[in-house]
Amino acid sequence: MAGRRPLSTCWTLFLSLVILLGCFIIPGVSVKHENFKKCSQSGFCKRNRAYADDVSAKGASWSSPYELDSSSIQFKDGQLQGTILKSISAEEKVKLPLVVSFLESGVARVVIDEEKRINGDIELRHNSRARKERYNESEKWVIVGGLELSKSATVESETEAGVTKVLYGPENAYQAVIRHAPFDVEFKRDGQTHVQLNNKGYLNMEHWRPKVDAPEGDDEQKPEQEDEGTWWEETFGGNTDSKPRGPESVGLDITFPGYNHVFGIPEHADSMSLRETRGGSGNHDEPYRLYNADVFEYELNSPMTLYGAIPLMQAHRAGSTVGVFWLNAAETWIDIVKTTSTANPLSLGVGSKMDTQSHWFSEAGQIDLFVFLGPTPQEISKKYGELTGYTQLPQHFAIAYHQCRWNYITDEDVKDVDRNFDKYQIPYDVIWLDLEYLDDRKYFVWDPLTFPNPIGMEEQLDDTERKLVVLIDPHIKNKEKYAISEELQSKNLATLNKDGEIYEGWCWPGSSHWVDCFNPEARKWWKSLFKYEKFKGTLSNVFIWNDMNEPSVFNGPETTMPKDNLHHGNWEHRDIHNVNGITLVNATYDGLLERKKGELRRPFILTRSYYAGAQRMSAMWTGDNQATWEHLAMSLPMVLNNGISGFPFAGADVGGFFHNPSKDLLTRWYQTGIWYPFFRAHAHIDTRRREPYLISEPHRSIIAQAIRLRYQLLPAWYTAFHEASVNGTPIVRPQFYAHPSDEAGFAIDDQLYLGSTGILTKPVVSEGTTTAEIYIADDEKYYDYFDYTVYQGGGKRHTVPAPLEKVPILMQGGHVIPRKDRPRRSSGLMKWDPYTLVVVLDKNSEADGTLYVDDGETFDYERGAYIHRRFHYQDSALSSEDIGTQGPKTADYQKAMANVRVERVVVVDPPKEWQEKTIVTVIEDGAKIASTASIEYYDQQGGKAPYAVVKNPNVSIGKNWRIEF
Amino acid sequence: MILPSVLLVGLAASAVAKERPRGVGPEFAKFYKDEPFTCISHPSIQLPPSSVNDDYCDCPDGSDEPGTAACAHLSPNTALSAGDRPGSEDWEVTLALPGFYCKNKGHRPAYVPFQRVNDGICDYGLCCDGSDEWARVGGVQCEDRCKEIGKEWRRDEEKRAKSMNVALKRKGEMLDAAGRQRVEIEENIRRLGDEIRGLEVKVVGMEGELEELEKRERGKVVAGKKGGKVNVLAGVARGRVEELRGALLEVRKGRDEARSRVRELEEILATFKVEYNPNFNDEGVKRAVRSWEEYAARGVSVDNEARDRDLDEIAKPDDDSSGVNWELWENESDACDADAVAQLAAYLPPSLVSFIEDKVVAVRSFLEDNGVLAKKDGTASETKAVTEARDALNAARKSVDDMKSQMQGHKDDLETDYGQDSIFRALKGVCIQKDAGEYTYEHCFLDQTRQIPKKGGSTARMGSFVRIGSVTVDELNESGEIVPEERVAIEYAKGQTCWNGPARSTTVVLQCGEENEILKIAEDEKCVYSMLVTTPAVCSGENPPPNKDEL
Repeated sequence: MAGRRPLSTCWTLFLSLVILLGCFIIPGVSVKHENFKKCSQSGFCKRNRAYADDVSAKGASWSSPYELDSSSIQFKDGQLQGTILKSISAEEKVKLPLVVSFLESGVARVVIDEEKRINGDIELRHNSRARKERYNESEKWVIVGGLELSKSATVESETEAGVTKVLYGPENAYQAVIRHAPFDVEFKRDGQTHVQLNNKGYLNMEHWRPKVDAPEGDDEQKPEQEDEGTWWEETFGGNTDSKPRGPESVGLDITFPGYNHVFGIPEHADSMSLRETRGGSGNHDEPYRLYNADVFEYELNSPMTLYGAIPLMQAHRAGSTVGVFWLNAAETWIDIVKTTSTANPLSLGVGSKMDTQSHWFSEAGQIDLFVFLGPTPQEISKKYGELTGYTQLPQHFAIAYHQCRWNYITDEDVKDVDRNFDKYQIPYDVIWLDLEYLDDRKYFVWDPLTFPNPIGMEEQLDDTERKLVVLIDPHIKNKEKYAISEELQSKNLATLNKDGEIYEGWCWPGSSHWVDCFNPEARKWWKSLFKYEKFKGTLSNVFIWNDMNEPSVFNGPETTMPKDNLHHGNWEHRDIHNVNGITLVNATYDGLLERKKGELRRPFILTRSYYAGAQRMSAMWTGDNQATWEHLAMSLPMVLNNGISGFPFAGADVGGFFHNPSKDLLTRWYQTGIWYPFFRAHAHIDTRRREPYLISEPHRSIIAQAIRLRYQLLPAWYTAFHEASVNGTPIVRPQFYAHPSDEAGFAIDDQLYLGSTGILTKPVVSEGTTTAEIYIADDEKYYDYFDYTVYQGGGKRHTVPAPLEKVPILMQGGHVIPRKDRPRRSSGLMKWDPYTLVVVLDKNSEADGTLYVDDGETFDYERGAYIHRRFHYQDSALSSEDIGTQGPKTADYQKAMANVRVERVVVVDPPKEWQEKTIVTVIEDGAKIASTASIEYYDQQGGKAPYAVVKNPNVSIGKNWRIEF
Repeated sequence: MILPSVLLVGLAASAVAKERPRGVGPEFAKFYKDEPFTCISHPSIQLPPSSVNDDYCDCPDGSDEPGTAACAHLSPNTALSAGDRPGSEDWEVTLALPGFYCKNKGHRPAYVPFQRVNDGICDYGLCCDGSDEWARVGGVQCEDRCKEIGKEWRRDEEKRAKSMNVALKRKGEMLDAAGRQRVEIEENIRRLGDEIRGLEVKVVGMEGELEELEKRERGKVVAGKKGGKVNVLAGVARGRVEELRGALLEVRKGRDEARSRVRELEEILATFKVEYNPNFNDEGVKRAVRSWEEYAARGVSVDNEARDRDLDEIAKPDDDSSGVNWELWENESDACDADAVAQLAAYLPPSLVSFIEDKVVAVRSFLEDNGVLAKKDGTASETKAVTEARDALNAARKSVDDMKSQMQGHKDDLETDYGQDSIFRALKGVCIQKDAGEYTYEHCFLDQTRQIPKKGGSTARMGSFVRIGSVTVDELNESGEIVPEERVAIEYAKGQTCWNGPARSTTVVLQCGEENEILKIAEDEKCVYSMLVTTPAVCSGENPPPNKDEL
């Protein structure tokens, strides 16, 4: 509210004061808790928690009713099959088929289903047309590879009775120890147990049962009977879920012995290191919830569900990382409890070790669990990526700066913003259109009054290689004479309600229908809508934003669809809810691949809802945050957590979506936002305009500097994206990922490393702060990015100056950082600019770095059209070596890039002897004779390292070369 | 025009000695004559001539790279690190050159910002000869288009000059008109002064006449039909009752109208509550819904049938079967003079007495206070002569007041700031419109701004005139630097209040142009608008300078 022009009367002054106070109070407290279920309001959550409590209370006297029938066990081709019997009474046992697959990658997969439901041998209530099986098609949307069964896995013959041991993994160093009665599994690596299933006995497969109406007058519950209160119809917030299959949840406890930290299971606005959820100081009372939902004004430090879900959890301790991936698309909750088991009860702390127990339960579907035994965070990323896919290598523009607002209101407005960025010489690549570009909120139709000439607007953007992203959501306005709506209905491509009629709900356009992308016909149709001739007014520089795909339904239970809605194949919405979002993204991706015959381009899609696998097709953002320092701070753990969970192309709305940020907050947010892999500013329609050029000095220049810093480092960012696209590593990495043995750094989630560049930054996220306390784990020297001040000393925090105009960044010794220093209007115009290489020497006077470059647009890189270099400094020489593989398009690409050179090499902290040096020798592949380049040595005072600059070595970026100092 | 010739001589001389390096404008040629080259702002730094335009930034002021983008990063928009900052750390880094100089033969020379040199884009807007893309990065070839662009520019320039002439002429006319209007106003003030004085004399006379008349009339009051006091009172009372009954009917009608409007509003709100989007972050909407829910929960019914029946009864005209039988009273003898009033009351139904006294009067005064009903002087009967005299006097007094306020208006107007030379006096009330998106926008000079929806719905006032002031806008100078420029701006405020927002306001920023025309409308923040408007009123001879050579 600051900065508003003077008000004329006392009354308005008073009024605005009231509004002002209102603004201070509103953020953070306004999430509507009553709109979202607590565990106690969700039948299966309540039941599974109660089950766990009951088991714990009974202690040793209790035994799990699940038993693996020894006679049923078969092992063949890396796969163990058998039947688990669940005793539900003295005489009655329920058959639960078990399949444990040992994969070539060293990952183990445990699947438990229910025979009766598989065979359709059950009755549904309410004449439901829903499927009878437990949902078994998540794999279709999520898993893309890595399922080859191990050829070497074997059953160990010499074991005690009632135990089956399978040796698997690299060198068969992993073991799965399967105890038959009660059923439990231990996963061992090198003889040590890392993951235990059903160790606590919380395994719970709610078998099918008919509803037996209690006889008249028999209201009293017999003590041994189960509480049926939540088995059948459930009502919440005025909506009743018919639950035609009755109770069908699955639950399992997974223990990580000796592990103190667990990370992952986004999306939550919480610390990266997950907290305990069974109460106590600093802990949560509610389990972490995964049920994709449009949570309005979400609160921080909460296990409440948000827009996306990735049920991947990794446990970490010094020297070891393991993980589990719970492949289930239904509503899921996870309880976490940490217990201390002391080796010597008299010496607490010494020798005591922490176990982390997690308890997972989903409302429906199978138990389908992947177990990763690490042992490094990188291995988890890699193996998880093999299964669910790696991050898409995005078009180059997508990693530059995005300018968004709800809304740029006319095509002239867009063109004006575009011109202003150039006027103030601030680079940007993409401008976005939210909802209001549409005619009457009808997707694929431009508002003819406000956007009469979209093509003209897109052409102006294209003049400087800029792009446009427009919003396309899954809800289709229910209106006659709207072709898309009519096709959706006439072709039966929409989601149905429980009675099999087209489902109607409310979203932005009012009454709407939802495209059902589980239907192959619907996907085909949706795909066709993006063709240029179909989506009139779009050019090849237009990309898509899929919002509200949880799906958000304004008048639905928990702002989403009723669980008994029906999708293609008669799966209930309950079964597929969490993968719903990515089915839309999937169809949109296919639509963008080829909008015109022969024009194959990498799609760019932003999605709000996601599940494991979304990384193959899209970027995500953390939804509707608020312009507060607390939300700014929370953006870092959220982005980091997404990164280690396989979906690193993540960001938060820079500036905060709701409310108006102060100039300082906006500036700090830009300085933070440049470290989000997805870097976009966005603002709510009720906020003041805040495009960076509108902010008065000095803030304007400081923001411009931050954005230009992002652009300067784009070569490093693109290289990090490439790395993520081939091995799943996060693009920005938390402390534990970079230093997996440094215990003190495990919980740190407010500083980050950029890819493998050794760039370490801790953005300022609190008001009035002018220093950053950066934690350094190792003994390497770290250098200030700007003035090369030296910080050294592992295991402690170092105070780095960070006045408003400075982003606190350090460079770890031992890296070569590729940059492009020339500012341009957009990243597309930097294509031909020369590189600067910053060589930061380590203790042994060595340095290493990589660079990946391609056309940033097409799929030609798949046929070799790229440059992939390794820069290595050793023995006073810097060399560039090719680490790519040749393909049919390599030569052409290299030729096109022949004139792109290195303009400058900066060596940080060179030996003193270099003072005398004036020239260096440059040897480029193919050159007949070696040439020279001049070098200048600069000494510095006051704790700043000296540096040397090689001027214009004139070597091509795509060639092998060597510079001898 | 001495400067250019000197420059030309200088140019010729340098051309003989040495060709200007790429990207250097003639005014900087002298710095590139000598060897070794010295950085323009840092003469202590000497460089071999080969360092000029070698695509590597050596000078802290970028002067060694006039023809490349190598020094484009030397800018307040870039945070420099030690390694990419040329020279010593504590030297100020400011570019010495305004940009890359495009000769643009056949057109006007111009500077392109360094960040656009060799970026693969032909910046014909500034560099029509395409020389900014000399390196042909990525194979781009920018042909020389100066011939056509120059021609077009000259044509435009001619138009501009003509237009400027017209604009200045119009401005002159405006100034004349403004002057005339001022004179007219002064004339009016004089005239009004005279008239007021005359009328005031007349008023004094009329006051005397009225007093005389009233004196004569007094005492005649009791001379009624039957002559008795009770009869007179009954007559008066009857008139009064009739009057009150009339008022009651009027009030009821008003009430019924208000009631149906309330019903309509309640229906709107009830639908609104059902249809609003709870996910939309609109505090105002949420507040409105909450208040509506509370209101609806109170369940206040506006209908009361019993009361209505009472009122129906009361509203019937009096005769011998209902209400008061006035005939009886008007023909009554004067016997019980003393308690006539009390008896009168006794003849009235109690409901009438209490209702009329308590409610109608209260409601009526409420309506009067709010301007719904006109105020009436509840005077007793008077003779026509007195009434006429009083009316005449009041009319005379009123016209004196009117004239006085007119005169005050004129005087205020003379004091009002109408800008330089009061030029905007000539534009006052002139309205111009522009279509933009869903709305037509209207600007009435010194009056108001409005937003008229095309799709239907009501027009929103975006502000009423407050004052003529000024704003600072960022303009680019020749070298692409931001320079603040002061512009005349007209402020409009206290427009219609936004739903969940402030009262609308508009700043109309003026720039010189031949026509009064709205160029652009922007909503800078919620309900705070700015309009860019051209008008001859802010043209000055110098800015932009008319091209005299071409006239």
